[in-house]
Amino acid sequence: MRKVILLFFIFVNLAYGYSYDDLLLKAQASIFPKIMLLDKKIENKLIEGRIIYTIVYEKNDYNTALEITKFIDENYNGHFNGYAYKINLVEFSDLSSMTQASAIYILNSDKDIKKVADIAKKKGIIAFSYDVKNLKAGLLFSLMLEKSTVLYMNKENLYIQKIDFVDSLLRMVKFIDKENS
Amino acid sequence: MKHKISYNSNRFSFILILFIGLTNLSAQTDKLLESISSEMEHFNKVATLTKQNEHYQPYIISVFQGKELEKLGVANLKEALLLVPGVDMATDNSNTQTPIFRGSNPLAYGQSKLFIDGVVVNNLFLDAYSEYLSFPIEMIKRIEVVRGPGSKTDGFNAYAGSINVITYAEDFKDSASNDKLVFKYGSYDYRMGGFFKTYKTEDLKLFVDFFYQEDDKKISSGPDGLSQGIFGANNIALSKSGDAPLWLREYSLGVNLEYKDFSLKARMLEHTQGSAYGINLALPQESDRVKLPSYYLDLGYNKEVGSYEVNINAGVKYDTFDSKSKLLPDDLNISNIIFEDGIYGEHYAAQRTLYQSSYLKYSGINKHTITSGYRLIKEETIDMTSKLSNRATGDVALVDYTYTLPFFDKDAKRDTLIFSMQDEFQFNDDISFIYGFNYEQTSYKDAGLEPRVSMVYQLDTENIFKTIYSRSHRNASWQEMFTMNNRARVGSTDLKPEIVDAFEAAYIKKFSTDSYLQTNLFYLLNKDQIYNSSINPEYRNAVDTDIYGFEVEYKGNISSADQLYLNYSYVDGKSYTQDVGSSDSLPNVAHHLAKGYYIYNLDGDLSLSGVVKYVGSKDRVLGDTREKVKAYSSVDSSLHYKDPKYKYSATFSIKNIFNTNITYPSAPNTYIQDYAQERRTFLVTLKKEF
Repeated sequence: MRKVILLFFIFVNLAYGYSYDDLLLKAQASIFPKIMLLDKKIENKLIEGRIIYTIVYEKNDYNTALEITKFIDENYNGHFNGYAYKINLVEFSDLSSMTQASAIYILNSDKDIKKVADIAKKKGIIAFSYDVKNLKAGLLFSLMLEKSTVLYMNKENLYIQKIDFVDSLLRMVKFIDKENS
Repeated sequence: MKHKISYNSNRFSFILILFIGLTNLSAQTDKLLESISSEMEHFNKVATLTKQNEHYQPYIISVFQGKELEKLGVANLKEALLLVPGVDMATDNSNTQTPIFRGSNPLAYGQSKLFIDGVVVNNLFLDAYSEYLSFPIEMIKRIEVVRGPGSKTDGFNAYAGSINVITYAEDFKDSASNDKLVFKYGSYDYRMGGFFKTYKTEDLKLFVDFFYQEDDKKISSGPDGLSQGIFGANNIALSKSGDAPLWLREYSLGVNLEYKDFSLKARMLEHTQGSAYGINLALPQESDRVKLPSYYLDLGYNKEVGSYEVNINAGVKYDTFDSKSKLLPDDLNISNIIFEDGIYGEHYAAQRTLYQSSYLKYSGINKHTITSGYRLIKEETIDMTSKLSNRATGDVALVDYTYTLPFFDKDAKRDTLIFSMQDEFQFNDDISFIYGFNYEQTSYKDAGLEPRVSMVYQLDTENIFKTIYSRSHRNASWQEMFTMNNRARVGSTDLKPEIVDAFEAAYIKKFSTDSYLQTNLFYLLNKDQIYNSSINPEYRNAVDTDIYGFEVEYKGNISSADQLYLNYSYVDGKSYTQDVGSSDSLPNVAHHLAKGYYIYNLDGDLSLSGVVKYVGSKDRVLGDTREKVKAYSSVDSSLHYKDPKYKYSATFSIKNIFNTNITYPSAPNTYIQDYAQERRTFLVTLKKEF
């Protein structure tokens, strides 16, 4: 029995990671950087003149994070609409308020998403989420492939002072809050 | 004054720069918003076409990805379909296997339709697609299985369900398919080799797939049908037991071509199989065979102009039933004619289907998308031969009975016109409706008008409800209409279409983006189901069946390292045989089906998986005194390794690990034992991508 338990923990430590919808990952990787540029205060979020797009992942999702990076680079070729960018891959456990980020994109995790949301709020940056359920924990945006493609936005975080979206974007999104998911 | 002018000029310049700057910013914002809208529309289109947003569509649908099935060691389409909720498998004495959806008429073929890249491939002879069930999984990108008829109002009649097989020829921006080579080896000396190749230029896309596969499968069977006295009591002693030849030789070449707005889809499938349990229910020789070739060519034109989209298709499909076999054993005595060397037979019937369809989609009315069009189908037998050992003398040499005692009507033909219209109405962000109808006329009995209405209600991101009502039909197959001079089957052109009225409701709970629970209830009112028996071999509209049940499907994970899929389905009902005037529980139907798989990712490249299936016991048809068909459970396991650097993968699978005795029911008064299926087998797959 001990061997079985030991084997189980070895397997868990070697675990590969969550399964992701490939098309959804691509849709989010295509659209989220453009959403970020609709923030009228984007200039204030540049770090050394560049946008730092930080992908936060669990250790076992490193390959997924790399695939997203590759996809963004192939699509954007180094610039988000004239702004040079850098993609920063950060493990959940390494994320802190010191982490360089102009925006954060979060993959799946069983860790405390609220902590990530608090860091994003404190830094006054946009936090995108792969899974829409994370908006309830305070993240700002997610995107779902429903009957049509729907951009979800957390209503509670709409009035963060350091983020100011153009009105036309707000007409495109579907709002979500803790009570009304 | 000059100073003032200068001040004004500076102020004007400042305002102009500010104006230009703001205009430029506004233009950039507009450009970004336009780009986001266009991307959202693009991904919505891809998601709808690839059924990624299946939960929001007005169908009861399950989608299986080819790559996930490969991980599970699933070898072919048949094994994949056995994972679908509510789907069981049946076979017959020719080993024509057919999926049974929700217990709907297990004795008939054509209850479901199979589409390969959008082209329906059911053969005309039986309305079955058994020859495609061995289609290797490595050639399949995705399988979409719609249960129930509520899927389409576009000229296709999926009676109990439809299966859409999408090959790697499906190509979208951002999701191109890799070229690949595949080799497989397994039990029964199974060997398979195949490839997929893409060629693209700016306007032209060419996709080619090819595979060859063979095995020498034989399974111990018998005693054969002679033991039941089907050729008289004096021939019972000639009954045999032995190995039923279930071998396979098959190759297929598929070509998909896209040039601007035009498309071409073509496939040549050469399928040959052993004569199984004998078309006359006498165990055949090992080399006896049935060929079921299938060829199709589909030409398409698709164009979007503003709010209009036009879709025009035309095509031709050929399918053949070609049997060469020793039909009955040596020393057979029929009406005192002794066939010392037995009876041999060659039966050949080639069919051609021509079709043309035109559909126009209009989305210019706010919240509505209206689609309307027609489909014309011309089906006919183009060649038929019927040869047998001399029926008058008992001499073994073949005599051509094509014109004197044909097994089939060589002039068989049917014309069909289907007109359809539907409206997709997005009532608001949460509620959408699809309603419409098919109207069909044929050169025989018509199905007439068939309405369909569905509603999808999305309460929030986690809860979705669907309701569907639909009426559909199945036209009689060629075998049911045109078979003649046969003791076991007599066709009739007076057959009405089988009609089903289906009422379905579904609820989907989404736990996260990638995990969900789907439950659905169904109530199916089937009328005039086509039936024959050994006592009354003429096909007739003899059975009305009410079927009800539910299906539950869960997909998710236990930890971050695994994937779990489970489903359970329950079906029950009553079958009323009109000419006997009696009701019975559903015969040959498993009331309980449970399937599932579990994939554990040991690391990024290596996974271990298990597939479990449970099929409940099945009642016999009325008058069949044999014990119920026994329930069974089977377990498969696979180890899958993928090397991302060199892009190759290897899979080792063991199927039916516990060597369970799996049987599909035989018809009464044929083989007394049910048809045994494979015991424990293994399969090794090597795949290289480029």
